[in-house]
Amino acid sequence: MEFELLRNITIGQYIPTNSVVHRLDPRAKILSAILLGMAISVTSSLITQILLILLLFSIAKAARLQVRYVLRGLLPSLRVLIFLFIIQLLFQGWREPSGPIFVEWYWLRITEYSLRVVTLGILRVIEFFVLLSLLTLTTPATQLTHGLEILLSPLRRIGVPVHEVALMNMIALRFIPTLAEELEQIMKAQASRGGRVGQARWWRPDQMARERIPLIVPLFLTALRRSEELILAMEARNYVSGAKRTRFVRLGWTTLDTLTILLMICIYLLAWQIQWPAFN
Amino acid sequence: MNISTRKIVVAGMMIAVSAILALTGLGYFPVPNVTDDATIMHVPVIIGAVLEGPVVGLLVGLVFGINAYIRYLGLPFFVDQPAWVPVLVLFVPRLCIGLVAAWVYQALRKGNQGVALGLAGILGTLTNTVLVLGFAIGLGLLPAAIIGAALPQAIFEMVVAAVITIAVVAAWKQIETGRGGSSI
Repeated sequence: MEFELLRNITIGQYIPTNSVVHRLDPRAKILSAILLGMAISVTSSLITQILLILLLFSIAKAARLQVRYVLRGLLPSLRVLIFLFIIQLLFQGWREPSGPIFVEWYWLRITEYSLRVVTLGILRVIEFFVLLSLLTLTTPATQLTHGLEILLSPLRRIGVPVHEVALMNMIALRFIPTLAEELEQIMKAQASRGGRVGQARWWRPDQMARERIPLIVPLFLTALRRSEELILAMEARNYVSGAKRTRFVRLGWTTLDTLTILLMICIYLLAWQIQWPAFN
Repeated sequence: MNISTRKIVVAGMMIAVSAILALTGLGYFPVPNVTDDATIMHVPVIIGAVLEGPVVGLLVGLVFGINAYIRYLGLPFFVDQPAWVPVLVLFVPRLCIGLVAAWVYQALRKGNQGVALGLAGILGTLTNTVLVLGFAIGLGLLPAAIIGAALPQAIFEMVVAAVITIAVVAAWKQIETGRGGSSI
């Protein structure tokens, strides 16, 4: 059982390389992420998806991030994803209209349709993951929350608790690495006391549950303890919910931000409208 | 709307726990099953709901729903479907988990605490499974036969959720009162 769990977590990490991307206003980045997300969802064309992936990788390059590092965050979920897609390949083979059939062997049927749909799925998952990681890797969590709060503040007029939800997310983001460290400590403590971790067979979920519950329950309790400390700290600093608040740090909007948004709008429109002839 | 500091902090922390369970893979139990692994990512929603009420349950469920939406949007089921379909199947059920768990717990807490907690865990999980599968089958995305295949997984999730909920909340309440104040 590996003890270094934080190594593969890239979401929630902020890497300050002070690039052009880092210096964009967080509101521009959030809106761009939404527009790109829409572009990814709206097109069923494989070529467009590949172009979008290349776009994302070049944004990573512009932010002076290594693409390898960004993709490393996908590793923990890899097993689940592969399993899911194998299952999908089996199921979607029987959907009509199927197009040309590549393999037909008793119950296994791989058609053009199923291949296309499954590949599209894989590409989309990777793209969404990279998109989200890019957002968190180039924007410190406080800025993200601030930007999101300003973007959503019109909703306050209809009673949506924008500030509270923003604060809640900021707390969550801030504590993910902390809780990961705590989890490592818990695992080491259990292992040093002879707790058998890592010995359950993967096909015995009951064994896995037995093994993991002594890790999960202390994790929750640690989280709750830290919550109490945080509540105390906030109230000691006179944080009162519902009070009017002003900001210590203001966000500034530059021309580059406007240009970025316009670029993303164009990309979305292109992704939506362009139909590649012949091979799709 | 005035949400207390306590509720905000607990909700945020539960979201962080949910994220950890997902990111470290600790929340995934491979089950000999056709669909996804059995997961316990909804347990923080239930615990938040039980400890601090339906509002917290709703908030944590909201974030869990957004994560589920992002994570499963790429699935081949949804490729040719209109935009509101994944929202209904992936997002809406998660909002209900916290509400159901909170209500069940509040209704039963006067009696045996352990039973109240266990049922909150079981029914919260059940809400998730029933709504997700229900919407997916109702919209024709999945064959009805999948219910049979999903049953062992659903039962496993319910049991594990109940166990964790009881263990965590019982231990926490004891810690809070400082003495053996819980009736478990």
